[in-house]
Amino acid sequence: MSRPEKSHKVNLFRPKEGHMRDEVHIILALLFGWGVCTFGFQFLVYACRGTGAGSLLTRLTLFNLPLHFWFTGQFLPLWFIVLCVIFNIYVDRISEYHSRRRDRSYE
Amino acid sequence: MNDSSWSIFVVLLVLLSFILVGLRQKSRESHEYGFGGRYTGRIGGGAAIASNWMSAASLMGLAGIIYLRGYQGLAYVIGWTGGYVLLLVLLASQIRRFGKFTTPEFVGERYGSPAARLMAAVIAIAISVIYCVAQFKGIGLIFAFMFDIGYEQGVTYGALAVVSYLVISGALGVPRNQQLQYLVICVAFIVPLMWLAKKLGYFWLLPQFGYGRALTDLAREFRIDFTLPFAGDSLFEWCALCFTLMVGTGGLPHVLSRFYTVPNVRDARWSVVWGLFFIALIYWSAPAFAVFGRLLEARHGIVFAPETARAAADVIALKTALMAGLPGWLVGVLAAGALSAAFFTVAGLLMTGAASISHDLYYSFVNPKASERARMQVAKGGTLVLAALVLLVAMNPPGLIAEITAVAFALAGNTIFPLFLLGIWWDRANRYGAIAGMVTGVLCTVAAPLLGGILPGVASYFPVTASALCGAPLVICVMIAVSLATPAPPEEMRRFLEQEVHGHLD
Repeated sequence: MSRPEKSHKVNLFRPKEGHMRDEVHIILALLFGWGVCTFGFQFLVYACRGTGAGSLLTRLTLFNLPLHFWFTGQFLPLWFIVLCVIFNIYVDRISEYHSRRRDRSYE
Repeated sequence: MNDSSWSIFVVLLVLLSFILVGLRQKSRESHEYGFGGRYTGRIGGGAAIASNWMSAASLMGLAGIIYLRGYQGLAYVIGWTGGYVLLLVLLASQIRRFGKFTTPEFVGERYGSPAARLMAAVIAIAISVIYCVAQFKGIGLIFAFMFDIGYEQGVTYGALAVVSYLVISGALGVPRNQQLQYLVICVAFIVPLMWLAKKLGYFWLLPQFGYGRALTDLAREFRIDFTLPFAGDSLFEWCALCFTLMVGTGGLPHVLSRFYTVPNVRDARWSVVWGLFFIALIYWSAPAFAVFGRLLEARHGIVFAPETARAAADVIALKTALMAGLPGWLVGVLAAGALSAAFFTVAGLLMTGAASISHDLYYSFVNPKASERARMQVAKGGTLVLAALVLLVAMNPPGLIAEITAVAFALAGNTIFPLFLLGIWWDRANRYGAIAGMVTGVLCTVAAPLLGGILPGVASYFPVTASALCGAPLVICVMIAVSLATPAPPEEMRRFLEQEVHGHLD
């Protein structure tokens, strides 16, 4: 529990020790994966326009869909589901771990 | 029976059966219903999240915008699914631990300010109204399509139908069975699509993949390249739209309040995963309607002028089904699915909007001594006023269904998302920051239509449907700056945040 002299601080970028720090680590990692795949891929498609790599992205097909169309239209929603599953499994684990440490039955 | 009477019959049957099933359940287990429905496990919770989410925008607007704009339209698919990642990792369990059910309640409690609460209530109602305009457009189009009447007539009849549905189900006290709703909406969307794929000779078992071949045929036979990235629009526009829809998802009041229907945080988190899966099932399918529609038009030698194509876009799924010669009852099923999604969304939004008028505006500000009965009257009147207001705007809809909905998302992403984000993750955010943030957010949202004529630069950084890429970070900066320049929030709230919201396992 908090010590009386310490003021209460909540900050996403300066999480306190324990469960919150673990949780913030996974949050930042997932947000990175979310941002890179969503926006990073669009940058890539945009930057490669007209070049050999660009035509590779738009000419190669998967399920008869051009690669970039498949990636954005079909893979990204799936990727979001995967990210959410990873998050939940990880948070389940750290919650269990920190509950045990606190010697309390898991919520 | 001809085609359109078949579809009217199917639609009536579906709506009636929802009321009957609801009544049956009510008499069987009336005590089990809590806030918004019965608890049925993680998968059931996910279906409820998905059915709460599905609206005319998902079932009509999405196919329409992809039909019209190809790759650019995929920004909607990504925005409306990726937003759930933000919601899950940043907000879901924390707002649940915070324990406030509605957006105005959260803002009022967290920032300890009646003024901020009032503003949040007004913004939440405005979001509902904009969202409903898009739904009304969808309902009006389907009515016009079924009865073969003009759009204005269609939307008027549609509004009457929604209000009578609200009155009937309200008078009978019908609970919403959201799991059943999702099942009906999903089947009504995917079965006609499978039929369509089979009829056109593509892989029909999973039309979500089968349409790839249609895309190739479209390019080979007619030289229509549907997938060209950033053809008419810039990278900035794509990313701004996508980001706006994502943060908007994280800030939509009726989405945020979903996390209270599940008994514990762990199940709430897992039901988001299922919800996202059920939503993605529809979103993987929507482009198929757009592609089949384009292909059929090309094969029939129909070339629309841009204006006509725009007008036809929102009913492209139904038009494609008709053009392919699907049986009348199946077209009816497709219409019934989209119509019930729009119906339930409108019903939910109008009721929560009216409840907010009655509680957050009337009871908290105008007349704190109001009796239960008077508040009920205000809520009922509020429903009608909101419905009339929505109808008035929907008579002359300002854009495609997906575009109108995107404006609601932009407003939510510019105002409510930053309020929740900083409210949960930064204890120093205070009421002055919140109020300044909301004012800035509203300004960002309306910047393009209001100032676009005078300052063209503003319109290019804050596009109407995509203002949150620049807007939300700006609002967050304003909130931080104003909060730091003004006194810190009460120690009590900061302790609550640290110990209850983030320290439940310390």
